[in-house]
Amino acid sequence: MLCGAAAPAWAVPSFARQTGMACAACHTVFPELTHFGRVFKANGYVLDNLQQVQAVGSKREELLELAKTPALSIMAQVSYTSLKTRVPDVSNSAANAAGLTQNGTAGFPQQLSLFYAGKIAPHFGAFAQLTYANDSGTIGIDNTDLRFANMIILPHKQSLIYGISLNNNPTVQDLWNTTPAFGFPYAASNANVSPLAGTEIDGTLAQDVAGLSAYAFWNESLYLEAGIYRSAKQGQTNVLTGQAGPLDGSASNVIEGGAPYWRAAYEHDWGAHNLEVGIYGAEFKLQPGAGTPLQGPDNRFNDVAEDIQYQYVGEDHIFSVEGTRIHEKMNLTASALGGTNATDDLTTDRLWATYYYRRQFGGTVGWFSTTGSADPGLYPAQATLADGVTPCNCGVVTSANGSPDTRGYVGEVNYLPWLNVKLSLQYTHYTKFNGGDTNYDGFGRNASDNDTLYLLLWFAY
Amino acid sequence: MSSIDRFVARLAPLMTAAGALAFVLAVSPVHAQEDAAAVAQQAEDTAIGVCGTCHGPDGNSTNPMFPRLAGQHAGYLVRQLKAFKEETRGDPYAIAYMWGMASGLSDETIDALAQYYARQKAGFGKSHDPATIARGREIFEHGLPSQGVPACALCHGPDALGNDQFPRLAGQHAEYILKQLASFQSNMRKIAVMHGVAQNLRTPEMQAVADYLESLP
Repeated sequence: MLCGAAAPAWAVPSFARQTGMACAACHTVFPELTHFGRVFKANGYVLDNLQQVQAVGSKREELLELAKTPALSIMAQVSYTSLKTRVPDVSNSAANAAGLTQNGTAGFPQQLSLFYAGKIAPHFGAFAQLTYANDSGTIGIDNTDLRFANMIILPHKQSLIYGISLNNNPTVQDLWNTTPAFGFPYAASNANVSPLAGTEIDGTLAQDVAGLSAYAFWNESLYLEAGIYRSAKQGQTNVLTGQAGPLDGSASNVIEGGAPYWRAAYEHDWGAHNLEVGIYGAEFKLQPGAGTPLQGPDNRFNDVAEDIQYQYVGEDHIFSVEGTRIHEKMNLTASALGGTNATDDLTTDRLWATYYYRRQFGGTVGWFSTTGSADPGLYPAQATLADGVTPCNCGVVTSANGSPDTRGYVGEVNYLPWLNVKLSLQYTHYTKFNGGDTNYDGFGRNASDNDTLYLLLWFAY
Repeated sequence: MSSIDRFVARLAPLMTAAGALAFVLAVSPVHAQEDAAAVAQQAEDTAIGVCGTCHGPDGNSTNPMFPRLAGQHAGYLVRQLKAFKEETRGDPYAIAYMWGMASGLSDETIDALAQYYARQKAGFGKSHDPATIARGREIFEHGLPSQGVPACALCHGPDALGNDQFPRLAGQHAEYILKQLASFQSNMRKIAVMHGVAQNLRTPEMQAVADYLESLP
């Protein structure tokens, strides 16, 4: 249930090397996609204009096509984060807040990623990312989307792209920037205070699942997709065998069977404008595990979301508006035994608008809101330290009234001296946090104390 | 075989009837016809499925950033595609988009793509303010002798329909024409005649001519 670090999103220069086209073909400003970028992604990242090493069979069938330059990229984020009000330092006194932390966190790097992003074989491409992050201090698998795709031309000059995606984050395979994996904020601090509540489809299961989905994109306008997700835990071993599986009760939030995922979207393009409206959703049955066997009562999360995107991509001016609303209905049969409500609901809304002048100067303003039923079992008043066990009378990450409600604004200004280098100054202001505007945690902390100033240098090459 | 050739070669054998025909022809003993038909079919599929994302499936792009290609003369299109491939056409969008897209095209594919667009029916242009159109028409038909600007119609034809040597301009996006005139002016796109013309045109005059051209059928 905890909302993890915001899942960032990326643009990858290896695509530019592969296609011979500048970033501007596929992106307004990275990582937001243009129509051409969406079509490139739907086609499986395989469009290439590089010299190839080839093998052809006696019937002219293609056996191998390897680009002479591998589709590798490196991406780095260097950041500085300052909270409006410092949080308690509990490092030496777990039971009570003993002092205050240092304010101003330098992330150098906050994140460093290696990508393979491009064609693997004629109809087979990948967007695969390996990331070092400064919070874990380790290298781990990050967003990954392996695609098989094909295109046919129908009568009346209409194209039909169809394919299969194997990925590790619901919506990472999606073509629009409205859905969680590649939505705004495109980059966010990992040295901030995160609110308690977030829906399952909203990044909660990122890199924790494996999904296989089939999709079709008709006439570059109607998009339909259906898939199924299964837990794919990283760093988890079976207690008895010591092997990577089968998963046992030491794992937490394990998907029971397969979780269905679905998506429908329609995009209309006219002149330099395009408008997309869509719906997406998933249903997750999760076994809480974490010390209990993976059987018996479960927790069910039914997520249904709507999204909308408008883009104007002109020569000098680029303007876009994006938004999504995610509704989640929870049936917490398993967790209710431990004291949560039997049912809860949660709704997250996000809406943001972006403007750029000549892809160089620009900014985004965004509004976000999460509201739902109060449940002290889910959004507790008692803090637990990052180890998940040690209780702490320190507030900050708690809710005094058991409400998940969090609301606020994000504003950022960006400058791109080159198309693959972005400098950002972002400010997040909370009007409500974990259910309250003032003293939300019962320890005197106000929502606005979590306001976050975030400076970011973000580049990829 | 170039990369886009390969990309389309993979599409060609698939579902369209013509694609299936091309595939059958490709394994028949009549090699010359077979190759020509297969290349034409592949080029058509490329034009619709790849180029079409920006230029429109039939070359009638709706986005003014990307030129309309329907009804454009094949000879002109061949020269442009080769100029992209050889990286000699240097306006900003050519560099950012078309150098890459054309880099792997074979001469046969270039010819077939050009033929495809040449036989497409040009769509309707867009109307503009009558006064501006009248001014644009005046400049197009008679030039601006006092500024040393010759009549555009001398090369592009009285109805701006062009020929193999000079491009068709009728119905072209005004925004695209303005962008090209700016590139001629700055010499990023180096064509001596057009550099001379564009240097002597002021912005409102360019706008008038562009609006007039876009309004033509």
